[in-house]
Amino acid sequence: MQQTSDPQTATSTLKARTFQCMGTVIGLTMPVDSPEEGQPGFDELCAATAVVERLFRDLDETFSLYRPDSEASKLARGDLKLPQASAQMRERYAEAHEWRLRTEGAFTPERPDGVLDLSGIVKGHAIREAGTSLLALGRRDWCLNAGGDVLVSGSPHPERTQPWKAGVVDPADRRTLITGYPLGGNSRHAAIATSGSAERGEHIWRVGNGGEFVQVTVAAADIVTADVQATAIVAGGTRMLNRAADGWDVAVLAIRADGSMLATPGFQPS
Amino acid sequence: MKIRGTVAAALASAGILLAGWQTGTQAGGISTVASSTTAAGTTGSTGTGSSGPGTSGSSGTAGTSGAAGPSSSSGTSGSSGSSGSSNSSAAGTYKGNTVQTRFGPVQVQITVANGKITDVTALQLTNTDGKSIQISNRAAPLLRSKVLAAQSANVQTVSGATITSDAYLTSLQAAIDAANL
Repeated sequence: MQQTSDPQTATSTLKARTFQCMGTVIGLTMPVDSPEEGQPGFDELCAATAVVERLFRDLDETFSLYRPDSEASKLARGDLKLPQASAQMRERYAEAHEWRLRTEGAFTPERPDGVLDLSGIVKGHAIREAGTSLLALGRRDWCLNAGGDVLVSGSPHPERTQPWKAGVVDPADRRTLITGYPLGGNSRHAAIATSGSAERGEHIWRVGNGGEFVQVTVAAADIVTADVQATAIVAGGTRMLNRAADGWDVAVLAIRADGSMLATPGFQPS
Repeated sequence: MKIRGTVAAALASAGILLAGWQTGTQAGGISTVASSTTAAGTTGSTGTGSSGPGTSGSSGTAGTSGAAGPSSSSGTSGSSGSSGSSNSSAAGTYKGNTVQTRFGPVQVQITVANGKITDVTALQLTNTDGKSIQISNRAAPLLRSKVLAAQSANVQTVSGATITSDAYLTSLQAAIDAANL
């Protein structure tokens, strides 16, 4: 898994910084160069990671259902009513409900017992906000991976259009990759997200053909669309897959328990 | 599955072309409506030249194969002959107008035999980058053996179902991150 060294880009190397939040590990990778080359140095990577970490921690404090004192927990217990909740809580609720309508219920912000659960959208939202912050900081080339959901900008090689490449894990053997997908650079998509039927923390409630796929990967222009659609397709099966492929500019790779796969053209070998 | 999707896209485009054909018949006065199928069949071809003589444009290429009938009908420049001819002889392949879709420009080709459409194909066009345009986003079976090993080589990041902090330690992503620390 080492990068192949390219003589043309010998001056810039990829560097990564990671931290733990939301029960998983978040990593930021950037090409790092000597300052005189005009590329971000290692200090900039550390500073950028600190900004991303701050943002994730703030959102986790508000939205985590694992923290009894979080606003989300108060809502779940009924100690707080939605109209009295913070603006960002209501915004995420509205966004999640919009996705519920657009996916015909395959994605939903409520558990079957009626408890509000925005965890299906909060991580994607955190990644999206982090990406906005990184761009605001002037960082053009980076790759942000939060527990397997990825958003990139630019290229691993500054000043070039070569996209980043994301591997997709084999659900039967997480030490191997099934395929790769280009992100950023000259690729149409900058985000990729994968949902599994047995994953931790993500509450995926099946409707209709649910259970058909053990793992669904979706690439899209933005991380929230990729994340929500991956979750929705795990819940809604082939019907939701076709709906997503027809209605959104996405690439989908869906894997069944027997290992057979369905893929939109974006994931088909050219 | 893929073919079905392609045909669906082609038919959708043919539907769009139908509008062009309708205006075409009004302008050029060509009325070859024999049966519903052949009506759709002549759609693309007559539609191309509807706006009168001199407007060959892309429709100049429309003639292509088929070419059974006499393409003399006034006003329909370059359009593949079929238009004026009778049903029985309206055999061949015809290309329609290029239509802008969400997936880029799409052109439909139909094959007519014995007055019936026997095949509808969406021609794969290229955009300005010279890259092939994808006209249907439908999912199709993907064989593991078809996925090139090269496609999963040299990745900079890994997408998978959310893993716990503990599981991360033994993950591929951890190995990649470690290499870049």
